[in-house]
Amino acid sequence: MINALDPQNMNNFSEASVSVEIETEDMTLNIGPQHPSTHGVLRLVAKVDGEKVHDVKPVLGYMHRGYEKLAEVRTYPQITTLVNRIDWVAGFSNEIPFIAGAERLMEIEVPERAKHIRLILTEMARISSHFVFNGAYALEVGALTPIFYAMEDRERVLDLIESVTGGRFHPNFNRIGGVKPAAGAGPTSKKNIQDLPAGFYRDTKVAMEKVIEAADQFQNLIGGNEVFKKRTKNVGVLTAETAEAYGVSGPILRASGVKSDLRTQTDYLPYDQFDYDIPVGENGDCYDRWDVRVKEMVESAKIVLQAIDSMPSGPLQAKVPKVIKVPKGRTYVRAENPKGEMGYYIISDGGLGPYRLKVRTASFSNVSILPIMLEGALLPDLIAIMGSLDFVLGDVDR
Amino acid sequence: MEEFFNNIKESFKDAVLEFETINIKVGSTEWIEAHKKLRDEFNLKFFSWLSAVDWDNDVSVGEAPKESVSPCFEIITCLSDLANTNLITVSTSIDKSDPKIDSLIEVYAGANWHEREAHEMFGINFENHPNLEKLYLPDGYEGNPMLKSFELISREVKPWPGDVDVEGMPEESESDETPDD
Amino acid sequence: MTDVLIKVGFLAIAALNGAVIFTIMDVKGASWMQRRPGPLHVGLRGFIFPLAEILKFVQKEDIIPTEVDRPVFKWAPAYVMVSCVALFAVVPLSPTLVVADLELGVFFALAISSLGTIGVLTAGWSSANKYSLMGGLRAAGQLIAYELPLILAVVGVVIQAETMSLVGIVEKQIEWGVPFVVGGQIVGFLIFMVAATAEMMRVPFDMPIGESELTMGFMTEYSGIRFLIFYISEYMNMFILCAIASTLFLGGYHVPLLPTEWVNFYGPVVLITKTAILGFILVAVRWSQPRFREDQLQNLAWKILIPASLINILVTAIMKVGF
Repeated sequence: MINALDPQNMNNFSEASVSVEIETEDMTLNIGPQHPSTHGVLRLVAKVDGEKVHDVKPVLGYMHRGYEKLAEVRTYPQITTLVNRIDWVAGFSNEIPFIAGAERLMEIEVPERAKHIRLILTEMARISSHFVFNGAYALEVGALTPIFYAMEDRERVLDLIESVTGGRFHPNFNRIGGVKPAAGAGPTSKKNIQDLPAGFYRDTKVAMEKVIEAADQFQNLIGGNEVFKKRTKNVGVLTAETAEAYGVSGPILRASGVKSDLRTQTDYLPYDQFDYDIPVGENGDCYDRWDVRVKEMVESAKIVLQAIDSMPSGPLQAKVPKVIKVPKGRTYVRAENPKGEMGYYIISDGGLGPYRLKVRTASFSNVSILPIMLEGALLPDLIAIMGSLDFVLGDVDR
Repeated sequence: MEEFFNNIKESFKDAVLEFETINIKVGSTEWIEAHKKLRDEFNLKFFSWLSAVDWDNDVSVGEAPKESVSPCFEIITCLSDLANTNLITVSTSIDKSDPKIDSLIEVYAGANWHEREAHEMFGINFENHPNLEKLYLPDGYEGNPMLKSFELISREVKPWPGDVDVEGMPEESESDETPDD
Repeated sequence: MTDVLIKVGFLAIAALNGAVIFTIMDVKGASWMQRRPGPLHVGLRGFIFPLAEILKFVQKEDIIPTEVDRPVFKWAPAYVMVSCVALFAVVPLSPTLVVADLELGVFFALAISSLGTIGVLTAGWSSANKYSLMGGLRAAGQLIAYELPLILAVVGVVIQAETMSLVGIVEKQIEWGVPFVVGGQIVGFLIFMVAATAEMMRVPFDMPIGESELTMGFMTEYSGIRFLIFYISEYMNMFILCAIASTLFLGGYHVPLLPTEWVNFYGPVVLITKTAILGFILVAVRWSQPRFREDQLQNLAWKILIPASLINILVTAIMKVGF
C-alpha cells in the first residue's frame, strides 16, 4: 500500500515492514486497449501486487495507420491532409512543420500575413489541446466537474478555428507558400480571395480574455485543491537527465526544469516578434506538468492577442508553381507542438511526393518513458502519471 | 548555426549543411563512437529520433529515385542540444543482404523504441538490443512494411484517384484589400 | 403478519422515495455546478431526468457474463439494497412514526450498515473480472477502516444521551434544548460525516468504483436492472446515513423552539429537510473534489479519524462524569 520509491513515504515504509508480509502471486492486469484513461487505445500489461504495479509493458499499434508509408505515394499537397490526423487534438499544429519543411526545400518565402495567421491558429490549437488535457486530467484523478468547464471554453476556441479554416479538428488549411483563403470566402478565383472572416479580431479578443480567465479558474478549482495536490505532488518525478536521454520534450521536459522551447529556438514561425514567458517547473512531478500547461495556455493567449494587434497586411500566398515539385534535398523541420517536439524529416528526390517522410512525434518519445516512471507505482498513481504525460494515441502510433 | 557547423566539421570531415540541417555521414563501424562523441563533446544529449531509409531503384510504391543508387539501408538519427538551437542528423549506410548494426541503447536509452520500430518496418537487426520485438505490428505479421519493395495492396487493387491535384493554386494574390474589421 | 407487511412496505417506499429525492438532488446539483443543460432545463425543468435514467436502465439488456458465479452475481445487488432498506427501520420520523424503536437502535444501525459491504465484496468477487475484484477488495478495506471511526463517533453521542435508542437520543436533545452538534459533539459529527461519506463510497472516497482506474470497480460487469439496483442503493444509503446523522447530531425530527406537542405533524418534514441539507453538502463535495489515493484514505482513517474519535470519547466521558 506504500509507494517505496517515494522518498516522502520512506518512514511509512519502515512501518509497513514491521508487519508480516504474505507472499502472494502477482496478478497480470491488462489496462486497455479499451479503458477510460488510456486516451484512445494504449494497452498496458502490468503486474500488480495488490495495488502496487511493476513490470509495465506498453503495447502499441492499435492505432497504427502507416502514415509514413502512405506519404510515399502521395503528392506534397495531399500529405497535409494526412498529417492533420496525427495528433487530432491539435490538428492544425501538425501541418506547420511539414509545410515549413516543403517550403524550405523549395526555397519559398512565405508572406508575413500568412505566417501570422499560421501562428495564431497554431497557438489556438495549443490552447484547445491544453483545455482537453485540463479536463481529462482532472477526470483521471477523480474530479468530475472541470472537464465540463474545459470543454465549454475550448468550444469558443474551436469555433474561431472553424470560422477561419472551415474545420474544427482537421483544418487542412496550410498550402505550400501560404494559407488557404478562409472558409466561406467564396471561390478561389482571383477577385474573390478573402482572408480572415469578418469579426475575427473581435471574437478572438473575447475568446482569449476568456482563456486567461479560464486558466485562472483552473488554478483555483484544480490547482488549489488539497486532494489534487496530494494526488499529484511528488508523484511520478521525472529527472531532466532521463527525460533528455529518452527524447521527452514539450511541457513534460519543461516541468522537469529544462527551459527549452522550440518556439524561441527555431524560426518556423515568427515567434521572436512577441513577448511571452516560458513556464518551467521545479520538481518534474505530475503537479508541475499540470501547472506548466495551465500557465502555457495563458502565454499562448497573450501571443495571440499580440499577434492580432500586429497583424501585417499583404497577400496570403507566395508565388508557387502550379504543379508542386520539391527539389532534391533533405531537411528536418521541428516545431513546438502542444505535446512536444514534432518534426518531419523530408527526403525529396525532385518528384511530386517525398521519397521518404519520417514523422517524429512528441507522444511517441513521451510514452516510451512510461515503463520507467511506473515501476513500483500504485495503481491510482499509474493513472495520474499516465494522464500527466498528455499523449494522444494518434500521435504515438502515427 | 554556422559556428556549430564549423566545430562539427573539425571532428567530422563529411559533415554537410544543407537546408538548415547538418548531416554527418559515418561508417557503420563507428556508429557508437560517433554518437558517444557527439553526446559528450558537443553536448547533444537530446535523442530526438532514429529511423531508416530504404534506397533502391526498383520500387513498388511511389517514385523511384531518378539517378541510380546502390541499394542499401540508410540509418539516420537526430540529436539536439536543449540549451540552444544545435541540431544534427547522423547517418550511416548498411548492406541490405545482412542488415545489422550495433544498438544505440547504451548511449541513448531512448533509442529503444525507435530501434524496435526500424526493426519491424525495415528488418534491420540492432545488435545487443535487450528486447528487439515488434512494436506496432501484430504477432505473426510477415514482411517489413516500410521497404520499397513492399506493395501497398489497396493501391494495387484500386488506383489512387488523386494522382493529379485537381484544384489549382490561386495564381495571383493581388487582392490586397482585406475585408476585416 | 399484515402488520409486518405494512411496515416492510412503508420502509421500502420511504427508502425508495429518499433515494429518488437524493438522485434528483445529486443530478441537479451536478448540472448546476457543471453548467449542464440536460438535467437543469430539459423536460419539466429537468425533474424527469432521473425517471428517464431509470427507464433507460430498465429497458437495457441484463447481461450476465458466462464466467461469473451466477447465483452470487445475480443476488449481490439485492443484498446491498436490502441492507440499506433495513437500516431505515430504526430512524424515527417522529416519536411514534418509527418502524422499530429498538432499545439498541444505534447498535442495530451500525451492525446493519456494515452488512452492505458483503454484498459489494461478493459482487466484486463473483464478477470474474480483475477490475471488479480490485474494486471489491478496495471496498472491503475501506469499509473496515471507516466502520471504526463511524462507531467511535457515535459512542460519544451514546455517552451523552445515556441511551442507545434513536428515539431516546432525539428526546434527550429536545430535553437539552439544543442538538448534540452544538452541545459538544461537533468533532463527533464531523468524523461521522467523513466516515459516512467513505461508507457510501462517494467522492472523494470512491476508489471502489474509481471509474478512471477500475472502469467501474465492483459494478463493471453489471448492466441493466442490476446496475440500477446498485445505483439506487447508493442513493438510498446516502439518504439513510444522512437521516441517521440528522437524528444523532442535529436533533432529528425536532427543531428548537417548535412546540413538542405537534412533533408528529412536522416531524417527518423537519427530518427530511435536515437530511436534504446534509445531502446537499455531500453533493457539493462530490462534484468539486478529486479522489483520494488508497493509501491516503487508509492513513486518514487510521491516523487521524480514529485517534480523534477516541479523544472525543474521552473528553465526552470526562465532561459527563465531571459536570
